[in-house]
Amino acid sequence: MKISYNWLKELVPTQLNIDEFCEKLTMFGLEVEEVVQPGKKLENIVIGKVVSVEKHPNADKLSLCKVDVGGDESLSIICGAPNVVKDILVPVAMIGAKLGDFEIKKAKLRGVESFGMICSEKELGVSDDHSGIMIIKQDFEPGTPFADAMGINDNIIEVEVTPNRPDLLGMIGVAREVAVMLNTEYEHPEIAFEESEVQTKDEISVIIEDAEKCPRYCARMVKGITVQHSPEWMQRKLVASGLRPINNIVDVTNYVLLEYGQPLHAFDYTKIKDKTIVVRTAKDKEKMMLLDDTELKLHSNNLLIADTEHPLALAGIMGGLDSSINDNTKDVVIECAYFDPRNIRASALEYGLQTDSSNRFERGMDPNGLIEVIDRAAQLIQLTGGGEISSGVVDCYPHKIEPKILTLRVSRANSILNAKMSVDEVKNYLNNFEFSTKKTSEDTFEVTIPTLRPDIEREIDIIEELARCYGYNNVESHFWINRIDNKQKRTVVRLTKNHLISLGFFEVNNMSFASPDDLDVLKIPENDFRRKVVEFANPMGEQFSIMRSTLIPDLLKNADLNLSYKFENFKLFELNRIYLKEREDTFAEPTYLTGVIVGKFDPFYWKEEQRATSFYDVKGIVESVFSKIHCSKNITYKVSNQPYYEEDSAADIFLDEKKIGSCGIMKDDVLKSFEIEALVLLFDIDLSNIIPLYNEKAIRFTEIVKYPPVLRDIAVIAPSDIEVGEIEQEIKSVDPNIIKDVQLFDVYTGKQIKQGCRSLAFNITFQSETSTLTDKYVDKLFDNIVNKLSLEHQIELRQE
Amino acid sequence: MKEQIQEILEEARRSIPSCESDKDLEELRIKYLGKKSSLSDLLSKIGTVPKEERPQMGALLNKTKKEIAQLIEQKKLKLHEKADASRALGLDVTMPGRPLPVGAKHPLYQIWEEIEDIFINLGFEVAEGPEIESEYYNFDALNTPSWHPARNPQDTFYLKGGKLLRTQTSPMQIRVMEKFKPPIKIISTGRCYRVDKMDPSHLPVFHQVEALLVDEGITMSDMKGELDSFIKRIFSADTRSRFRPHFFPFTEPSAEIDILCINCKGEGCKLCKNSGWLEMGGAGMVDPAVLEEVGYDPEKYTGYAFGLGIERIAMLRYGISDIRKLVTNDLRILKQFQ
Ligand SMILES: [Zn+2]
Repeated sequence: MKISYNWLKELVPTQLNIDEFCEKLTMFGLEVEEVVQPGKKLENIVIGKVVSVEKHPNADKLSLCKVDVGGDESLSIICGAPNVVKDILVPVAMIGAKLGDFEIKKAKLRGVESFGMICSEKELGVSDDHSGIMIIKQDFEPGTPFADAMGINDNIIEVEVTPNRPDLLGMIGVAREVAVMLNTEYEHPEIAFEESEVQTKDEISVIIEDAEKCPRYCARMVKGITVQHSPEWMQRKLVASGLRPINNIVDVTNYVLLEYGQPLHAFDYTKIKDKTIVVRTAKDKEKMMLLDDTELKLHSNNLLIADTEHPLALAGIMGGLDSSINDNTKDVVIECAYFDPRNIRASALEYGLQTDSSNRFERGMDPNGLIEVIDRAAQLIQLTGGGEISSGVVDCYPHKIEPKILTLRVSRANSILNAKMSVDEVKNYLNNFEFSTKKTSEDTFEVTIPTLRPDIEREIDIIEELARCYGYNNVESHFWINRIDNKQKRTVVRLTKNHLISLGFFEVNNMSFASPDDLDVLKIPENDFRRKVVEFANPMGEQFSIMRSTLIPDLLKNADLNLSYKFENFKLFELNRIYLKEREDTFAEPTYLTGVIVGKFDPFYWKEEQRATSFYDVKGIVESVFSKIHCSKNITYKVSNQPYYEEDSAADIFLDEKKIGSCGIMKDDVLKSFEIEALVLLFDIDLSNIIPLYNEKAIRFTEIVKYPPVLRDIAVIAPSDIEVGEIEQEIKSVDPNIIKDVQLFDVYTGKQIKQGCRSLAFNITFQSETSTLTDKYVDKLFDNIVNKLSLEHQIELRQE
Repeated sequence: MKEQIQEILEEARRSIPSCESDKDLEELRIKYLGKKSSLSDLLSKIGTVPKEERPQMGALLNKTKKEIAQLIEQKKLKLHEKADASRALGLDVTMPGRPLPVGAKHPLYQIWEEIEDIFINLGFEVAEGPEIESEYYNFDALNTPSWHPARNPQDTFYLKGGKLLRTQTSPMQIRVMEKFKPPIKIISTGRCYRVDKMDPSHLPVFHQVEALLVDEGITMSDMKGELDSFIKRIFSADTRSRFRPHFFPFTEPSAEIDILCINCKGEGCKLCKNSGWLEMGGAGMVDPAVLEEVGYDPEKYTGYAFGLGIERIAMLRYGISDIRKLVTNDLRILKQFQ
């Protein structure tokens, strides 16, 4: 629903600026979706006074005007409108003004220059009138901004009205709500008029045949009116609320709809046969022609407003064509009724007629507010079209709909909101909503809910209203803070375990105890950190005299056990703590991931010969683990000299500069001490430093590069002591922005390659994020790579 | 001559990949590489080339031959692959496919994760703590009297230097309460140690999960309800639990938790030693002295705690009767938990 802030301020005074107001409104439950400032569109449009009008020398229909816009000199403006004359005030769009997408510039029309434009109402979006330029009747200084003069400097607030609140579909309802929100008062329009001698009930009678579908029907008469344009102030408010002015009668019904939310209908009195309005259901297959020229075929569930013979309107949804107001209408019957929401909804759905009127009726209007609304309509029709208002309202209301009376326990409200509202506070809030209260005990009220609030049906509904007054933000929050949970570690541990399992590993679980002999067997030197063991004061025996400082011995024992059960090829891992003594009384318990690959890496497959296992198998496992837990980028490998690995068959693993583990082929004699004769690959990684780095929220989507990559192969002869990793780095460093990837795809040493060298082939991916790479550019980079490798590293391009 | 060689190569590059059968491929091989091929012809005419260009031209000829041979070889492989895949005669769908490895988490840790997840779903946070603890956290702060037998070195592992291995995960609860104000809703999980000879129902190293909830207005009903929800989720919806009065230093009232025997449903069997009930762990309302120790107002706050053995739950769930099976790491056992 669109709310004009200026209009609203007429009903509820407030000093709040628009932003503060909208914030408050949203937090009170009326969510502001958008605020539009129509005046913004009217910048550089000012009031001008036409000083002189001459005929355009070269065009009959154009006039050459001088217009005073408050500056030192009058502007020369060419105008094509027939109604431009000297001394009138007009809206002038000056150079730089924008009318929609059209910007006013200095222009030459048939050889004469024009410095602006005099606008019609339609061009300014004030009305649909395009018959001539807009003539401003009030008195303004030339140069006054047009938006100020017209009061269009408004803020139009678009709010979402929830479906349970039909009372908020009118300005007065919004004003009532805002008054509660601001703890202040609001004003109803002042309704006063004189009634004629003629009694309405003598002019028109109303018969309700189906009181269930139409519980109440009110009618009033205004006789001798003139159908014409409605006054400017009314048109302006209609336009601000998104409605198009048509004529004073239609405009008044729309205006009152905007004010009260209650739909009205106006009939031409002369079209009502026998001066009788019959509210009845349609006969089967009865036909009627609607205002919009569509013909409906009705049935007995459709409610009609009819005279003694013909339908006049589809009740609450749309008027009929025959009975509608036309330019010659003199006497008007105003309808103001309450229809059963379910019936309106069914009929509107059935015929696909969701009108302003049906939308409101189907949410439930206030059956007891009709008299005020119909009086307001009569007053405004007289104000805009003259005529005489007949005396009294014909009010057909067979069974009055009474307001609901509910019991509210203040203690209940407080316990739901965890609040401490006093009885007086609660009473004040309720009265602001126009709920009347009667205290029935220290803790309870009898609350009368006005019929304009069909949404309040139970005590809990009242409590919701109190909660809004109390302020959702003032409700104390009581919650479980996530401050202890070890989610980060749990995630890394589970990712790692699940990953290894899908690679065929079995997890083992060993007890935390060990014997010092285990370290000797692994040949761990005396100064190694794993020698700082935690010793028992009361050990369970020599075999269990220390806490384990490495998981390796246990895994080797597990391997030995399973080899003895005739398993030949298998993979085991354990993810658990080790225990280290830091100082006399302080201990560390880092989490380790240790695994062994026993025998062949690949499972046996009848179709192929089983591949020999190598160092790169265990390295591949380790790399995949790191990539699973997002730390590959920080990991580097260097040749390891851990004593339990075969020489030149293992790597130490570094996280940034810190050594966190190793992987490689285990030494035969170490394995022999565990009675193992199979090949065993080992990895042994401290996860403690990696876990804190894991952050799943760091994963961000990056836009896919739309320029194609260029792939080139390079084959080089490199001295064997230069590591592949280094060469990859060197290649990348030639242009890290373009060289996205360097992949080793072939290694060869043999008789064609000179001693101490190896042939390496890499696949290089070039890609730019900003353009398509040309061959020439890639050639140049390729040459730079070749030059760099050759000059700095004696790595030569391999010749065919 | 250079142009001719180039032309032959281009033609071969087009014709070889589009060839459809072994026979056609063999024909192409003869055409490009056979004795009567145009390449052989050109090679024989190399004498006609100016002397200084001869080595270059020779190399080009060889290179071209090599490339064509490679193209033919690749195509041959491709043709065979296709044949292999579709040859109805040789296909035996009962022969094993390429084996991809499938491992398994250790059964104990599978149960551990399941327990964690149940409690996480019940709104608990998971806290971990050190296994090497001080006497204060493991005993004193938990209101354990100085004469309590649990403190004996016959029951508790003491380390050189005076620390000990925690005998329960409760010390972590003290650490959390010291650091944070209520509400507290945590489980602490992990390894615990007691001096026990290994036998079918004891290990010196075992795992525990303990729940702790402290807030205003927490009652024994909350404890019973939450524990019962857990029991029903980890075993089955019809598993009943009961609370028997007991003594623990850090809870008051204290109880032992029994569940209706999951094997005989209360009829009496070997598993429950004919009692119909299985002992699961300890529980109780946190002793006001413990709350006071961590600086909570015991008049304002109340709470409950309960502890369960993870090995015990795993054994019942899987039907393992000897706890030592959980530390043998025998693949014949582990493979059952894929
Ligand atoms: Zn039993």
